[in-house]
Amino acid sequence: MPHFEKIEYKPIPVRELLLEMKNLSELMIDLAYSAALYNDKELAEDVIELETRVDTLAYLLDMEIMVAARDAKDAEALIGVSIVAAATDKISDAAADIAAIVTNNIGVHPIVSTIFEKVEERISKAIVKEGSVIAGKKIGTLDLAARMGVDIIAIRRNKEWIINPEDKERLLHGDVLITRGAPQGIKDFRDLVEGTLAQLEG
Amino acid sequence: MTEQKRFEEIVEHLVELKDTSELMLDLAYTSLMLDSKELAEEVHRLEENMDQLHTSFELLALTSDFKKEEAPGFLGLIRIGVATEKIADAAAEMAEVVLRGIEPHPVLKLAIKAAEETVAQACVSEGSPLVGKTLKEARVHEETGMWVQVIKRGEKTLRPKADSRIQNGDVLIASGYANGVESFRKLASPEQICEIE
Repeated sequence: MPHFEKIEYKPIPVRELLLEMKNLSELMIDLAYSAALYNDKELAEDVIELETRVDTLAYLLDMEIMVAARDAKDAEALIGVSIVAAATDKISDAAADIAAIVTNNIGVHPIVSTIFEKVEERISKAIVKEGSVIAGKKIGTLDLAARMGVDIIAIRRNKEWIINPEDKERLLHGDVLITRGAPQGIKDFRDLVEGTLAQLEG
Repeated sequence: MTEQKRFEEIVEHLVELKDTSELMLDLAYTSLMLDSKELAEEVHRLEENMDQLHTSFELLALTSDFKKEEAPGFLGLIRIGVATEKIADAAAEMAEVVLRGIEPHPVLKLAIKAAEETVAQACVSEGSPLVGKTLKEARVHEETGMWVQVIKRGEKTLRPKADSRIQNGDVLIASGYANGVESFRKLASPEQICEIE
């Protein structure tokens, strides 16, 4: 039996809740495909953990909407928000279903990833090691897209996720970076992040 | 048949399912943001494609003559297919809000958080500098401020990728600022604006 958290009403703006649900659900899709194609258990577990976060947000958002609706007019104005939130919840469920292929040891035929890699960009993970040239740098100054065709789509810092980090975000030692890009770019990036590449080239 | 060959067709289908579901999601959010029935209808058309595509993907996987020890790997593939369908359903539910004429609440625009104002279609005619270029080379956004959301080619609706090559006769659907629409249409068909049925 998993532990189900008791959820109490908290006054959080609907906009914030919905934005987080949307961002998380999109990130989860990317992570889930990657976990399934490369049989990455750790990544799959991240997805399943994020799914419980989205569930919590869905409860909070529903409560917020109920509190906000005072009459029929409000209800009509808010129903769209409720449906969109429910859809992001469904998307995060779908991502968790994909991740469960890995955690339940079903797996995906390995040849699939070989073919997939030719047509789709790859999602990958790298941890910022102590002494890496990028530790302490702002994302914007690295110019990753131009240099190696790589984007940082999320950062996991301790238990927190920063999705679509801004250029001014500073990378810290220990950050787990989720990146998207072509396989060669991803490889170069990992060398850089994990400190085997001594300096930024080009 | 080499092992790679045997899988190529299945994976091709899977990639199309994945791309279509993600395209639907992008379009659904944009349709909500712009209150665009046009895009919402596109999402629903894609949902129909998705159903057919999913069925042929499953049939292909089930008839691929796999060995017993390969069964889990195939089950994994089939489950990914089911998940793409679920994502597509979710996108269709969002688009339905627009199709039902419910005016999207301002909070949705804030959450979707993009700056676009409008949607425009343009067809690519001979003589357009876009013909034969990949989207990356075409620099539509830099030239016009519009983002290409969909490429329609005959019966097909494609998800734009950096290396998608634009062809004569393609219909592009793009979103962006209202003042970019005219330059977007001119870029696609410089001689005359072609008719889109």
